[in-house]
Amino acid sequence: MKKFISVLLCASCFSFASMIAPDAIGEEQIAGGSAAMAGRGFAGNAKTGDIEGVSVVNPARQAFDTKVVLNLNFLLGVSTVTRSNVDFTKTSISMPSMNLSFPMGDFGTIGVSLWQHYASSIREDVEDENENWFAEIEYQSSIYELVPTYAIRLPFFRAVSLGASAHFVMGSFNRNLTLGPDNSGIDSADVWATNNTNLSDHVNGDWEIKNHSAYYTFAVQYRGRMASYFFSFTTPYTLSNELNYNFRFSETDTLAPTRYTREIKVPAMLATGVNYRLNKRHNVMVDVAWRAWDRDIENASGSWNMAQVTKTQNDFNVSIGYQRDGSDVFYESYWDRMAYRAGLWYKNWYVEDVSEIGGSIGVGFPLGRRGTMLDLAIQGGVRLTDDDHNWNESFIGIRLGLVGVGSWGKTRGQ
Amino acid sequence: MNKKKFILFPLLAFLLSSCLFDTDDEGLSNWLSDQGMPSNYKVQTVTVSDLKPVSAEVLQNTDPVDAWGQGFFGASFGMTHDIVFDFALDSAFLARAKSADSSRAILFLYLVDSYYKSKSLPSNVLPVRDDLKLNVSWVISDKLSDSEYEDLEDLSDSVWLQELKSWKTKKSADTTISVSIGKKDTLLLTLELPKALSNDVRKYSGNRRLQLRLSTPEASHVFRVYGPGSVQYFPRFRLVALKNDTTYNYVSYIPTRAASISKNQEKCSDCIVLHGGAYDSLIVEFPSKPILNALSDFYGDEFPYTKGDSNDVRQAVVMAQMTFYRDDSKGESELGLPIQVLAGSFLDSADEVVCRRENYKLDKPRILESGHPNMVFYEGDSVSLQVTAGMRDFINKASDGRSFKMMMRLGLPVLLDKDTVFYSRIDESSGDTVRVTFPHFDYARYDFTSIKNKSANLKLWLASKRGEKKKQKIVVKSESKSSVATDNARGEK
Repeated sequence: MKKFISVLLCASCFSFASMIAPDAIGEEQIAGGSAAMAGRGFAGNAKTGDIEGVSVVNPARQAFDTKVVLNLNFLLGVSTVTRSNVDFTKTSISMPSMNLSFPMGDFGTIGVSLWQHYASSIREDVEDENENWFAEIEYQSSIYELVPTYAIRLPFFRAVSLGASAHFVMGSFNRNLTLGPDNSGIDSADVWATNNTNLSDHVNGDWEIKNHSAYYTFAVQYRGRMASYFFSFTTPYTLSNELNYNFRFSETDTLAPTRYTREIKVPAMLATGVNYRLNKRHNVMVDVAWRAWDRDIENASGSWNMAQVTKTQNDFNVSIGYQRDGSDVFYESYWDRMAYRAGLWYKNWYVEDVSEIGGSIGVGFPLGRRGTMLDLAIQGGVRLTDDDHNWNESFIGIRLGLVGVGSWGKTRGQ
Repeated sequence: MNKKKFILFPLLAFLLSSCLFDTDDEGLSNWLSDQGMPSNYKVQTVTVSDLKPVSAEVLQNTDPVDAWGQGFFGASFGMTHDIVFDFALDSAFLARAKSADSSRAILFLYLVDSYYKSKSLPSNVLPVRDDLKLNVSWVISDKLSDSEYEDLEDLSDSVWLQELKSWKTKKSADTTISVSIGKKDTLLLTLELPKALSNDVRKYSGNRRLQLRLSTPEASHVFRVYGPGSVQYFPRFRLVALKNDTTYNYVSYIPTRAASISKNQEKCSDCIVLHGGAYDSLIVEFPSKPILNALSDFYGDEFPYTKGDSNDVRQAVVMAQMTFYRDDSKGESELGLPIQVLAGSFLDSADEVVCRRENYKLDKPRILESGHPNMVFYEGDSVSLQVTAGMRDFINKASDGRSFKMMMRLGLPVLLDKDTVFYSRIDESSGDTVRVTFPHFDYARYDFTSIKNKSANLKLWLASKRGEKKKQKIVVKSESKSSVATDNARGEK
């Protein structure tokens, strides 16, 4: 387990690719960021099956699972930010989530997810002697959530399940802006004093929920013969980020930091979705999630001319997706046993005047007889902005999901 | 299908995309600018003139210092230096000495060759010809058991050094010894100790401990000698037992430990005098107000910073240099070389105030033109000392009402006064060692009394993260209320 957490933390050192609002809370990884969900445009929280696993938006869904599912997700992303014909590109690798669900028959299904909900990760440098530029910017902010879930089908209405999850928030914010000297304003006889004196404006601190240990999601799921629906409600909460502001001359040579705690009120989220099975293995699905932000987000800021707030807007995500399930008959052709996915989404970010349009295709490769899968999704899209700080982005990404399946507690005949 | 391909394809795509898209410096610079962040920090300088210290005092450390490797004795400008040896005398030889007709005690000391034979030693130092008036005092312990005798070697040196502070002479005797140290002379000092010492030693039997102290307050020189830790040139205390003036035998005792003890002999109580080699520290304290007022005038902000936890991180001190007036005419040195002044500052470390030595950054153009700025016994009438770490700490924590305190100490003599590398090194072409400083202290005397009357100048190189002055509104949207605050509500952190 220690090794696994180490790998997870290492992977998380390189996180999401977006450069929008890194000083606020960064990019949101919707729907847990799983490769299977991404392949169908982040739709399908209402889709039930034997091995659908944990949904952080709809904890009720897992009640219909019949097998133990371990799901690990990886994201390789490239994004290009552009403004006025000037652009630059950054790449990233991250692990948005890992999930484990454990069906217990009539006793319901328990699960747990480790979800990197919001993150910003930037590590770029600029050096130009002619322009006298030297700057290294590093953002490493990650709001993790440890999400235990529980779902159970109702005793007499077996088509209906109820689920709940608690989101325990953790993580840290780290911003380091290292700058070289600009001696243009001082006498040439004084320049010697600034040799090898790069300074770092350093901010770091931890994330937690104010006054509570967790926030919660409650969901209800209906599984019909052809159509399945869900509805979920996520409670509002206040993120607390205690920050230390400092000037660093080296790792060990720093000032006494000044402390400030910023608080971010995250509104309640309503989510719903439908999955319609066209025939035996073809599914179309639509998901909607919505939050009404009523307060701006206080940035880490604290220096230079940085904006003190990120203005917010009502954020919502509309996803539409298609999935052709793979055959579970091992003796059919490999192509027939593969799952095929496609989807589109439109997302209004929590950041004012930022919207995202994306599309994706994905496949699920069965590995062996037990239902173990390797999910692959390729996504791309644009993030459009219209403010002074954020730039337009185009992004492509590859997501990989490993799905391990077990049938614990069942005999061979079951 | 081959599983490896599943991994390979996306990785190839990722690497390909990484190669195709390269980060553009202009793009990132513009992005930083749009985030309100700069691509460099603007250096600004502030000079605080006419700084008068609120106090200046010399702290003298006259504690005994360990002379295990090297020790010293003699006299220098305003100081005298004694040397003390600790011997363990065994019962067998004392019994023989007791039965002898007479005895002699001789102390062999070896002069430190890296000083006396150094190519860098100024020619005016040698030869040293002196009739050394030597005062020898000693303490002989009670009889020791065999185990106590063996334990003498295991005594903690630090405990012994503490005990030496309260040295109480039991017996002493004076003698005069001719000393001659020339360039070609042997480096052995043979000190024929007074008869009173050898006769006294002969009175005792059993295992004994002998502590021997040499004082030469009228010496013209400070003698650098090897201590008992030297592999070859350790001191030897030879006790000779003579029978009928014809037969003799002797034993040579090597001290188990040694220490040098310095004493200040300055007459002027109001003078601020630093002594080289003696760990004298000059502590100068400056008031906070002139420095903070100058910063307030420069930035237009309030100093000290008192918001929140009052730790000021609005700016960083890139460099701080304090310049004092100096007058070398009142100082005296052994070697006649410039001497570097070491600087330290008092700053917070792990919840306590410590005095930390400051780094020295080289102003190469200035050094090439007029030598290092932090030397005394040199051309010019000022000494400039860098106090960057201390000034950072002071401005950072000035809200607690602290003043700025710095420390000065005489360092090593400087051989290459215009060297811009400033550390000893091997010359690649000749293979010779290039020494920037002479490897031994000069037991010099430097009078810094002018610090009390002549004001100092402080120059600061600063980096600030203050943004452009503009009002920015924070609008808090709420169903029932809305509030507006200016950008000064939180200020720079």
